Amino acid sequence: MNSTFQGVTSQEYKYGFVTDIEADSVAPGLNEEVIRFISAKKGEPDWLLDFRLKAYRHWLTLAEPGWAKVQYPTPDFQKIVYYSAPRPKKAQFASMDEVDPELKRTFEKLGVPIHEQEALAGVAVDVVFDSVSVTTTYKEKLAAVGIIFCSFSEAVKTHPDLVKRYLGSVVPAADNFYAALNSAVFTDGSFVFIPKGVACPMDLSTYFRINNQESGQFERTLIVAEEGASVSYLEGCTAPRFDTNQLHAAVVELVALDHASIKYSTVQNWYAGDKDGKGGIFNFVTKRGLCKGRGSHISWTQVETGSAITWKYPSCVLLGDDSIGEFYSVALTNHKQQADTGTKMIHIGRNTKSTIISKGISAGDSSNSYRGLVKVQPKAEGARNFSQCDSMLIGHTCSANTFPTLDVQNRSARVEHEATTSKIGEEQLFYFQQRGIPAEEAISMIINGFCKDVFRELPMEFAVEATKLLSLKLEGSVG
Amino acid sequence: MTVAVPSALLADLLSAPRPAEWEALRLAAEARLAGRELPTPRDKGWQFTDLAPLSHTSFAPAPEATADISADLLPEMVGTRQVFVNGRYAPHASCVSALPPGLRFLPLTLASEACHCLGTLAPETARSPFEDLNTARFEDGALILVPKNLRATLPLHLLFVTRAEHPCAVFPRVLIRLEAGAELSLVEEHMGHGPYLTCPVVEIQVGEGAILRHERVQRDHATAIHLATLRATVAQGGQYHSRTLTFGARLSRQEPSVRLAEGAEATLDGLALLGDGQLADTHSFLHHAAPHGTSHQLHTCVVDGQARAVFNGQIRVAPGAQGTDAQQKSRNLLLSGTARVDTEPQLEIYADDVKCTHGAAVGQLDPDEIFYLQSRGLDLEAARNLLTYGFAADLLERIPVASLRRALRRLVLARTHASALGDLA
Repeated sequence: MNSTFQGVTSQEYKYGFVTDIEADSVAPGLNEEVIRFISAKKGEPDWLLDFRLKAYRHWLTLAEPGWAKVQYPTPDFQKIVYYSAPRPKKAQFASMDEVDPELKRTFEKLGVPIHEQEALAGVAVDVVFDSVSVTTTYKEKLAAVGIIFCSFSEAVKTHPDLVKRYLGSVVPAADNFYAALNSAVFTDGSFVFIPKGVACPMDLSTYFRINNQESGQFERTLIVAEEGASVSYLEGCTAPRFDTNQLHAAVVELVALDHASIKYSTVQNWYAGDKDGKGGIFNFVTKRGLCKGRGSHISWTQVETGSAITWKYPSCVLLGDDSIGEFYSVALTNHKQQADTGTKMIHIGRNTKSTIISKGISAGDSSNSYRGLVKVQPKAEGARNFSQCDSMLIGHTCSANTFPTLDVQNRSARVEHEATTSKIGEEQLFYFQQRGIPAEEAISMIINGFCKDVFRELPMEFAVEATKLLSLKLEGSVG
Repeated sequence: MTVAVPSALLADLLSAPRPAEWEALRLAAEARLAGRELPTPRDKGWQFTDLAPLSHTSFAPAPEATADISADLLPEMVGTRQVFVNGRYAPHASCVSALPPGLRFLPLTLASEACHCLGTLAPETARSPFEDLNTARFEDGALILVPKNLRATLPLHLLFVTRAEHPCAVFPRVLIRLEAGAELSLVEEHMGHGPYLTCPVVEIQVGEGAILRHERVQRDHATAIHLATLRATVAQGGQYHSRTLTFGARLSRQEPSVRLAEGAEATLDGLALLGDGQLADTHSFLHHAAPHGTSHQLHTCVVDGQARAVFNGQIRVAPGAQGTDAQQKSRNLLLSGTARVDTEPQLEIYADDVKCTHGAAVGQLDPDEIFYLQSRGLDLEAARNLLTYGFAADLLERIPVASLRRALRRLVLARTHASALGDLA
């Protein structure tokens, strides 16, 4: 191996600090009492408690999934704290001045200009800090066009009918082990509702943050776009560093009605553990979009660079005729990280189309797998899928795997899958260096070129962040 | 010794008396089977292939039988053929008068070398219960030994015929060893009549720089079940090229696994031409264990009627296997609204300096191509049939035995209704 590649390892986690806020927590462990406690604490209606309890009872019958190509110690679900909330000083904050100064400093370190949203170029930020939304911005502006963008708990109180109608309609409570767990114990998350014919005037954004050492975070996101509505939603994650593995089992549900369009973008940079694989987040996420209406469109874009273990398959159920599903992904793993990620495209309606572009980069001792399913059901006349999965290996102790499944039950369907594996060529590097570009910069450029097809799907500010993030993550592993 | 009852079917099959030879091996296989159940769609690797039809049938040991194979002889191999009927050697149907001196091609029961070779030529990967069943109950099979540097000019013909009045089971076994620098072409054919179950096991060892070309033709009866295992190891610089052609059986599964040493080369092509309610499953495993190996895999399925094709092609590039070049392609043509294809290419790569690609495509005939042929005066049906034939026959062109190539072209022509276009063969 070229000496250029030796020693390229990511720099220390920049966002690894702990904010000390006394949490209002329940004792570790899970039983029906804890679920009743969470539900009561949040003042939930009976139907939601029922939903939680049903999910919990089903979860008890399930076994943890073992098919993914990841290895980790089974989390002890009885050692997890299922509820913790920053102690509210008042019922509601009137302005940023009232927010815990400790919390504000955390966001400053993260570079979230929460009190200068104008500077965020029109991005409204709904900040989820350890399970309870502390502040929500731009609400009035959105409310003027009828858009609801609030924390999940608030939505349960203010729009119970909408929540009841759509909650669990895409990811049923019994869907899988982690989705069932989430359905039982989710504490908060985001709710977005775009009414008929409204194009959301700005990108919506949420920063998630895990803060309490023993608290797994169980977020629940529900986005509904009515007929002809459109929205672009951004999710970005950073977390403080800890040595105990933290479990994150989120559920994201998207519903697009006739001719609606939802674009969901994620940059995930949670603590991945140190060089020896100690610590790091377990990221077991169920994300699924339902293209329910004719001509609806759901697009997932993700840049996955963090977490010790990633288990994540943002999917599209293409139910409406002429609906479109897209999945653009960059997954980078380094050191001992393990990622098993991909997508599912379920073609049910006629003339449904899907595109999958996946770029996997593995370095260090990491393992990076693409796992995907393209399923064309018998009635999906004229379904069309194109998939491309490219892998790049940096170093000889990492691995890159692709596990696509194509299941086609309609003859008029056209499904194509292509995959390649490559490494950064010595000649490419030589060419850059000969032009006076140092190796490390050259590698960053080559990798950004490799990921170009995905980055151009990201909203502008995310694209900039993602480009920086990849270079940062590979710093020291090449050069 | 009594054998614990694994499942009704396995117990059924094991109720046959244990043949006298290789008792230790057979007992070990029985011990592994004890307590095992048949794989179900819940088991990994079997989610698309349901073996339920097996559990509804009681298979007896195959009775002795004779078969007329005069119509199945291939002129190049008249003097280099061994025939097995219902799992037993058929001396009157066989003829090895044209074998080159030094090449051993004979039934296992007559081969003194067999005991050294059984179970040792290719190390086991995950073992299917059907391989153990074969080991526990095979009656006979073929042994092929090609000595160092011998290049056999004539291909060998290995024919397994099964004739069943009632459901019965056969377990053909084949051991092949090519010493360094040897070269051989082999045609392995399975055919028969009646509702039988056949579980062939083939063990192959290709020595340094040796070359084996292996054509495997499965045209079992439409009511038969064919569950085959093949394990091959290819030594440094050796080559193993195989083509598996699946036409028959209502339910069939091929499980080839090939392990490549440094600089070794493998081809693992497959064609499945399916109609009616047929199900053909291929689960292959190509293991690049050492640097600079090359592998090519082209798997083609043409699926009509209510048929179903399953392909799972695993390629593993081991740590340190730098310079590996692995290419895999799965092409599938769906001809009816009820046909179904499930394809799962799998790449597992643990080395960085490699060239690995895989592609999978499922679709129907290209309307532009049909239009082109129509513009040349073919009617719609003829155009469709010709393109279907072309899609399937692509793989036949590289078969080195001319008479077999012609025979299979005719078979494919008939199956794709393209015979009316004239004798393209």
